[in-house]
Amino acid sequence: MSLQHYLVISSILFTLGIFAVLTRKNAISILMGIELILNSCNLNFVAFSRFVEPAKNIVGRDDYLLDGQIIAIFGIVLAAAEAAVFLAIILAIYREFGSIRPDEVDTLKG
Amino acid sequence: MVVPLISIILLAPLAAFTIFALFGLAKRSFPRQDILSTAAMLVALGCSLYLLNETSDPKPLTVEWLSLGSITLSMGFYLDSVTVIMLIVVTLVSSLVHIFSIGYMHGDPRYPRFFAFLSLFSFSMLFLVVSDNLLGIYIGWELVGLCSYLLIGFWFEKDSAANACKKAFLTTRVGDVGMFIGMMMLFKQFDTLSLYGTDGIFEAVRTLEAGQIAWLSAAGILIFCGAVGKSAQVPLHTWLPDAMEGPTPVSALIHAATMVAAGVYLVARMFPILTPSSSLVIAYVGGITAIVAATIAIVRFDIKRVLAYSTVSQLGFMMLALGAGSYVAGLFHLTTHAFFKALLFLGSGSVIHAFHAMHAHHDEEHADDNEDEHDNHSLVHEHGSEIPPDQDMRNMGGLRRKMPFTFFTMLIATLSISGVPFVFSGFWSKDAILGGVLERAMGWNSVHHYILFGVVLLAAGITAFYMFRLIFMTFFGEPRNQEMHDMAHESPWVMVVPLLILAALSLPVVNKWWFKEGYINKPYQAHVHEPTHAQLRPDSKTGDTNFGFSNFGISEAEAAEEEGGHDTEHADDAHHGHGPAHTIAMVLSIIVAGLGILLSWLFYHKRRFTAESVATTFRPVYTLFWNKYYFDEFYNGVLVALTVWKSRLFAKFDLSIIDGIVNGVATITRAIFAAFIGFFDNRVIDGIVNRVAKVIWSVGGRVRRIQTGAIQTYLFVVLGGIVLIILIFRVL
Repeated sequence: MSLQHYLVISSILFTLGIFAVLTRKNAISILMGIELILNSCNLNFVAFSRFVEPAKNIVGRDDYLLDGQIIAIFGIVLAAAEAAVFLAIILAIYREFGSIRPDEVDTLKG
Repeated sequence: MVVPLISIILLAPLAAFTIFALFGLAKRSFPRQDILSTAAMLVALGCSLYLLNETSDPKPLTVEWLSLGSITLSMGFYLDSVTVIMLIVVTLVSSLVHIFSIGYMHGDPRYPRFFAFLSLFSFSMLFLVVSDNLLGIYIGWELVGLCSYLLIGFWFEKDSAANACKKAFLTTRVGDVGMFIGMMMLFKQFDTLSLYGTDGIFEAVRTLEAGQIAWLSAAGILIFCGAVGKSAQVPLHTWLPDAMEGPTPVSALIHAATMVAAGVYLVARMFPILTPSSSLVIAYVGGITAIVAATIAIVRFDIKRVLAYSTVSQLGFMMLALGAGSYVAGLFHLTTHAFFKALLFLGSGSVIHAFHAMHAHHDEEHADDNEDEHDNHSLVHEHGSEIPPDQDMRNMGGLRRKMPFTFFTMLIATLSISGVPFVFSGFWSKDAILGGVLERAMGWNSVHHYILFGVVLLAAGITAFYMFRLIFMTFFGEPRNQEMHDMAHESPWVMVVPLLILAALSLPVVNKWWFKEGYINKPYQAHVHEPTHAQLRPDSKTGDTNFGFSNFGISEAEAAEEEGGHDTEHADDAHHGHGPAHTIAMVLSIIVAGLGILLSWLFYHKRRFTAESVATTFRPVYTLFWNKYYFDEFYNGVLVALTVWKSRLFAKFDLSIIDGIVNGVATITRAIFAAFIGFFDNRVIDGIVNRVAKVIWSVGGRVRRIQTGAIQTYLFVVLGGIVLIILIFRVL
């Protein structure tokens, strides 16, 4: 499996995510789109990190960099936290407006 | 020791007032302001008594107050025997009036305020007394005037009281203007307002040349104008009888014993600058006041107004004494008068208090009448016809059984003021005045002083007459108004005790010790050349004593011993004691007092004659007395009317000419200038503003469409932007 396979998968995920975010009227669906975008990014990080040429250390052995993997873990944690906050906000909005459609929440509209 | 004592005397009443001013209004019923004020006065009284023997240093304190270039104004205390006597009189009468007021003012809605005002008054009066310079005296002078205004108008709901306090304030102000001009004349000449000491006015006056005496006389008379206003001398006496609208304790303290005596005190203080001509003016004003007020008092029926005119008359006696050079006699009469007149007023207050329940009753009845008087804006209050029923002597009579203490004490005061010989203080002080005037007449062979002696002798007789008229009408005979008589009762002890103390003070035994030989010395008058003792009376060395007080314990030897101690040339006139003038005066005064009392007895007790028939016989004279010599009518008809006429004239000038000019200018401005400005504003300024606003409005209207509020649209645009940027970079 070459790098391209990963990137193609990642692009499909990203495009699906963007599509969901732009077209869905339901806030939960938008959240799901955002999750897809985040996961496509994570996949990119891990893929690039895997195919980077390892450096030689002072005793001559390969020294793999794990930066991409670590950022992916951070991304997952971030996604979890973000989902929690987002769901809390949506819950509050639902209580206040009786709807979770962002275009119906327009109190600030002049 | 002296300075702290004087400070306590001044600060105690001031503190009582300040506490009221700070806390009294915040807390509507401040606890026990009466006790606070009374305690402050008693402390001041104690300190004053302690000062009695502390007069060795006359100038205990002088501080620089204000420096203007080369001129320095100083403030300070001056303490001599006269000051101490005034301090004791003021604090003593004030304390007793405070105590009396606890009973008299009980239940008044502004009870604490009354005591606070009394405290402020006491402070002002004491400040006036101890000041060593004209500025300090003037400050105290105006402060007592203010307190007088506040206390006369204490029941300001009554129109008559509101008018009376205005009248008192304005009338005394007329005299004060004269006093201020006099002060400024002295200041211009000597660059100082300090009276004593090496750089004081009195020292400077000695060196004036003969050519400046006329100027000095004018200054003296102008300063005396202040005393004319404050001490209610003719022609500015009309405010004092109207001041009786205030509560009776106020009449006793301010308008009988202390404030009105401040004028006499001022003249006594300024004694060294009085020249023969200004002295003569003072003597004549005093003499005329004595007789005019006494004759008016005969026909009054309001008990307080009788006493008010009596006060005016007695103040005339004091002025006459000072004008005739009888320095000690004037101050002596001031002291005795303060006690017995305060007693008479408090006694009348006690009588009024006895009728108080009736007073409230009648107030309701007359409420409608008062409504009609509201449109009377006349400054001079007419009082002849409308006497409050509880002050009308025609409603009294036979009260001696109902109010034994009040009757007894008032009788003592009446005997004193009438000049009943030997056991009452009034006799001695009045006799000292009569003797002093006659002595001046005989010594200088002065026709003026013979005339004045005759006038004052007549006034003394009339005094005895109208005072006993008051006593007979009030306390003797049968009750004239049975309903009111039944309600009358003796006053509570808190009012009776001050009466008893004042009655004791009306006996000479109590007064004499501060008038002992040489305690007060007549100040040196630089420009009055007294006839020497040798000219006056060859046997001057043997007869010296003090008003014949040797009867009461001071031996001739004692007197003679002290006589050696001071300069006989400038020794006091009163020390001439038993000269022929004094003997003649004493005999004559006993005769006129006896006649006055006898006539009064025949008229008002025995009813041998009736006052009505005499009044009918001498109708023009009676009318003149009844209308108070038409002073009020004159002031109302001439001065007030003139002021009103002048004000109308000025108002008309204002309305037609000044307003005309202003309105004309306004019209022209509006027609020409304003029209152009209006056009410019409307078209140019408003046009620019409106155009700018319209442009912004239309641009905003278009731009706001971009902001849809839908997040997904924004996101789409952002995405489009990114794609565009990527494409651009690809192409490049």
